[in-house]
Amino acid sequence: MDIKKALKDFWYGKPHTAEEGGRRLGDLHEDKTHLYKHREWRGFKDTMYYFYMIWLYNYIFMVKDVMVMGGLVNFAKGVWRYRWVGQTYLPVLHWFDRGLEGMRGEAMKASAWHYRAMVSTTIRQFQRMFAADTRLHGGKQNDLYKHTIAHNETVWGGVFYPWDGEIQNVPLEMIPYFVTCHVNSHTVLNYIDAVQSIGLPGDPCPMCQAESGIFVLDDVPDYAPAVVTCNEACDASVSTSTLQDWFFDKPLFSLPMPMIFDDPLVKKYCMREIEELWKFVEQQYGIPFSWEKLVKKLEQQNELQRFEWEKWEVAGKSDYYPINGVAQALYRIYQTQYGDWEIWHVTDKKVRKILEKCVSKKINSFPQTRHRVIAWSCAPLYYSNWCTWAYNCWGLNVIINMDSLMFDMTIRTDSYEHTLEDMAQYHMWAPMRRMAVGGMRHMFELWEYMEKFNCDMVAMYDQLQCKGVQGLHGLFEDEFRDRNIHAFWVPHALPDSRTVSRAEIRRLINDYMTTVMHEEPLDPSLLDFDDSMTW
Amino acid sequence: MCKFGKFLLKFLGIALVLNIGLFCAFFFDLDGKLLFNVVEPFLKDHYDNMERKDTLKTPYDIHKFPKYDYDS
Repeated sequence: MDIKKALKDFWYGKPHTAEEGGRRLGDLHEDKTHLYKHREWRGFKDTMYYFYMIWLYNYIFMVKDVMVMGGLVNFAKGVWRYRWVGQTYLPVLHWFDRGLEGMRGEAMKASAWHYRAMVSTTIRQFQRMFAADTRLHGGKQNDLYKHTIAHNETVWGGVFYPWDGEIQNVPLEMIPYFVTCHVNSHTVLNYIDAVQSIGLPGDPCPMCQAESGIFVLDDVPDYAPAVVTCNEACDASVSTSTLQDWFFDKPLFSLPMPMIFDDPLVKKYCMREIEELWKFVEQQYGIPFSWEKLVKKLEQQNELQRFEWEKWEVAGKSDYYPINGVAQALYRIYQTQYGDWEIWHVTDKKVRKILEKCVSKKINSFPQTRHRVIAWSCAPLYYSNWCTWAYNCWGLNVIINMDSLMFDMTIRTDSYEHTLEDMAQYHMWAPMRRMAVGGMRHMFELWEYMEKFNCDMVAMYDQLQCKGVQGLHGLFEDEFRDRNIHAFWVPHALPDSRTVSRAEIRRLINDYMTTVMHEEPLDPSLLDFDDSMTW
Repeated sequence: MCKFGKFLLKFLGIALVLNIGLFCAFFFDLDGKLLFNVVEPFLKDHYDNMERKDTLKTPYDIHKFPKYDYDS
């Protein structure tokens, strides 16, 4: 036994690559369940940081969040009543593990703070649902119920800023559906199957299916007197809204998301729709619109956007960006979609310190980067951490992704007209809309962003059940060839892990890296493993 | 040894044992094993056997709420 090497590995952790002795991350897991035989030893300092400041810290603060935001009794009732919370959110620390595997130093710290913010916001939302839920309170419509509004998860939370502090907006599907897929991919399958069991064919977008299935299985808390729906990014979701209207059975306002949104006349129409929504909220809740509150919240949101631009500057122009692909993607989409909230500012402050440290001390948090990757189109929700695997296995460093770039704007607050115009723009650049099904011009914004972020490779997502994107597969292939861009495809069915398994996604990337790029893996233990039963 | 010293030693001893115990739970993924093998199957069984309302029997009364009028 080489004592010197053992001591070095104890203090610094084993080196990444096979040539240097290798940490062999694939060997840490049990077959199929992918549970750890033991968690990763990242070196003394990083292991202690992970233990105290990520694992223990988050367990403690999750309990604290639950107690402060609605209480343990409401939480326990909610867990007992709703599958999506009980089955999904208890193993949340393993969501951290999957996203942060192999990360060291500043990358581990900065990415973990992003996860912490998402956990806190998730708890806040489901605790509000449970605290207001008539089903958990003997049918009583309490004060919280009367001051909560439900809305589709792709309706930007910012449209409710004028009632900040008086009406709390809680998306219908963000927590029961969207976040569950990332944390525990098993839960959502119940809802997809439920909606198909009432006759819906299996080929529409599984996101719409799952969102409807939650209602079919009667698994939606009754937490608000009114609801705002929309057609999400595509018109398949119109039927989701219809089912929601049927099963939720509440006064409903439908806020359309125009398909062709570059037309100034469409923007005018959209501005008017937002104003109509405000009128609807005033009528339903009897609380007047507040311009001052709207401006205050928008300014705060703009502050978040300005920091994001600083982050992008570092990501695009240096190797010192300390946030990994999955943390970047999920935090950003969560923040921009849900809208301004205190936790984002707290997190950004912490991340800014880490970012500044990385820049000033020239710390490269991803030293094994072989390719700087931009991920385009919509990601597989059940395998959002594929980019962590791709870095560990192949040195593919996902610098930025499409979901982070959709809301690349601040909102003017100098006049009512400007504000409304920008809000309409923001609303129309909805998730999956602007760059996934928003027309050729926007889909091909890829080339500009690729240059801006100094990327040399594209991870092209292919949502197999998205009819909007399917037709463009060939066009992208042609462009990749013409522009001599290395690109690999990641087929998936958004939340449904049964259509294209995680193992299949890894196999396709492995094939590309060996047959096209002729490269050797950094960590061969990650090439092929069975995680078919994992969360 | 003074009373405070004894208390301090006891406190440090408990803290040390607690830290070692928690670290073992962390390092050997005991939380994951418990959640995967015990908690989740138990809860799934509970959810699978819950009585649920047949939502399809909810009448779809689209005229239940007053018609919404747009400003012209």
